[in-house]
Amino acid sequence: MYSDLLHALPDVLAWTNFAAVIIGVIAGIVVGAMPGLSATMAISVLVPFTFGLEPLVALGLMAGIYNGAMYGGAIPAVLLRIPGTPAAVATTFDGYPMAQKGEGGFALQVAVVSSSIGGIASAFALMLLAPPLSKVTLLFGPSEVFWVAVFGLASIIFLLGGNPVKGLISACFGVFVSVIGSDPIYGNDRFTFGQLEILDGIHIVILLVGLYALPPVIDLLETPLKTGVDNSKLGTEPIWKALPRMKYWKTWLRGSAIGIWIGILPGAGGSMAAFMSYNEARRGSKNPDAWGEGEPEGVAAAEVANNADTASALIPALTLGIPGTAVAAVMLGGLLVHGLQPGPMLFRENPDIVFGFMWQFLFGAILLVLLGGSLATNSFARLLNLPRPLLGSVIIVLMLIGVYSIHGRMFDVYLMLGFGAIGWVMDRLKFPLPPVVLGLILGGFAEENLRLALRIGRGDPMILFQNVTSLVLVALTIAVIVGPSLKKRYIDSRKKA
Amino acid sequence: MTDHPENRLLRPETLTAIGIVVVAIGFLFPTSELRSISALLPAAMLIGLIVLAVALLMMDQRKASSDAPPVAMTKSPKRVVSAFLLILGYALATDFIGFYISTAIAIPLVAFAFGYRNPLGLAIATLIVVGTIWAIFDFGMSQDFPTGRLWGR
Repeated sequence: MYSDLLHALPDVLAWTNFAAVIIGVIAGIVVGAMPGLSATMAISVLVPFTFGLEPLVALGLMAGIYNGAMYGGAIPAVLLRIPGTPAAVATTFDGYPMAQKGEGGFALQVAVVSSSIGGIASAFALMLLAPPLSKVTLLFGPSEVFWVAVFGLASIIFLLGGNPVKGLISACFGVFVSVIGSDPIYGNDRFTFGQLEILDGIHIVILLVGLYALPPVIDLLETPLKTGVDNSKLGTEPIWKALPRMKYWKTWLRGSAIGIWIGILPGAGGSMAAFMSYNEARRGSKNPDAWGEGEPEGVAAAEVANNADTASALIPALTLGIPGTAVAAVMLGGLLVHGLQPGPMLFRENPDIVFGFMWQFLFGAILLVLLGGSLATNSFARLLNLPRPLLGSVIIVLMLIGVYSIHGRMFDVYLMLGFGAIGWVMDRLKFPLPPVVLGLILGGFAEENLRLALRIGRGDPMILFQNVTSLVLVALTIAVIVGPSLKKRYIDSRKKA
Repeated sequence: MTDHPENRLLRPETLTAIGIVVVAIGFLFPTSELRSISALLPAAMLIGLIVLAVALLMMDQRKASSDAPPVAMTKSPKRVVSAFLLILGYALATDFIGFYISTAIAIPLVAFAFGYRNPLGLAIATLIVVGTIWAIFDFGMSQDFPTGRLWGR
């Protein structure tokens, strides 16, 4: 089962593939360090540029960006108390007070080492858990695959928290977008209104760039933020001198376990992992009163967990096609662009690529330490001085190039701007965006398998409930839908009692 | 007395819900012309959207009657509208007058309009970005960009 993992290693070590990871990590740190930009946005913008690249080069860039951005978010969190990414909020609690005391450099080094450890643990979890899970899912037929898609959508909508009505609207919108174009069985047009450009459906990249890249750009232009940083107050020393001061093994182990678990759960994400890890570490600390005043262990707890959920979020994504986080959803889009359909067959048909991708996550995490030395920390901190309007205008150009280059037509650019406007409204009204992407990915997949199952069953819908696996998946779907409201009622009743 | 005297129907969530209902009903007409099996999923999604949007509308109106403030869309609507218009203008300019001319104008224009006013910085940034795009995409990858409908190319 794990022999494919070793077979994939030589390809990953080819210089182009390895260079892609290095470039990805650097780009990820840059993006993460810029408040308002995120790994999701960076990967959305990147995906169209990877069309002509080898799959492992493209995936290496994505793995690097994901790892790098999770650490990069700590830079403004520590230096400015502005989390570069949502997952870095908990890093501000102790990181910023450390910077105020002139220990910003050490805080960033704790962050980079912790991020790296979390990333390594997460990559190992992906390597160990995904292959056996993929073996199980290989046994699925059309009706089980249909229920997996329904379960994936349900879990994202209902575990994402907030408002389930908004989550459901997002998912319905995504599924509806997935049916635009030719019918997969009969070939008749659906909602194309005579536009030949959308006869093959709406390309996922157009939706991804519109939804995930345009709203942050509007944010960049909307709020002029002064982010000047005085590097002389960083107090950075070489990382090998700082390492002996970091004795947080318990926190690193606990935070890694929390991050991996949260990553596997669909809809949770890095910020929840970081908060949970921070709270648990504080609870276990001998000196909890020092937390919030500049305790380096607080930075370690938050950063190890938010990086530990990176690769583990891909366990359900690669094996079942259900992403654990928004970034994982965008990465699924990236896989589709290269003709790699996430799900059980991925491991059978493209073992070199899928296992290579896992190695790239591991190398990306290791590279973080090498790229986060004192010189790099000072350089990355300077990024905060980049003018946001200029950055915004450059991203707009990249978005246009990326979307235009898919088919070489401006129609796609206008379509992307339309999705961008919808995405901005959804973002402001707190409609979750991952269900839209997941709806687009799983909608067509679910429809195809539903219709295939109905054909096998000669039109009898009972075929969808005829085996144990389907029934288990139906039960899980119901549990995911009903579970949160039951839990809320239970908590409310206990509070009243 | 309420702190939010504006029309209850103009609350962003209410307007969005009404918009969803109108658009979904609009899409239901072409759905009715499809074969039943082809129409199954789109019809289910559109009806779902209508039902959910009505639920959203009711929830928001209930909030309005309890005097809850509407969701704040933006602190500076002018900047947001300007940003959208500039981006749309850039796309249209690319389509009609060509990619390189539009990009060379759009980068400094957007940055200047939103607060970065250093002429040297703008010039250097524009030169670097346009030059890099040309070197990587045009020269390196032979990627064709729009040359402009106005010039008939």
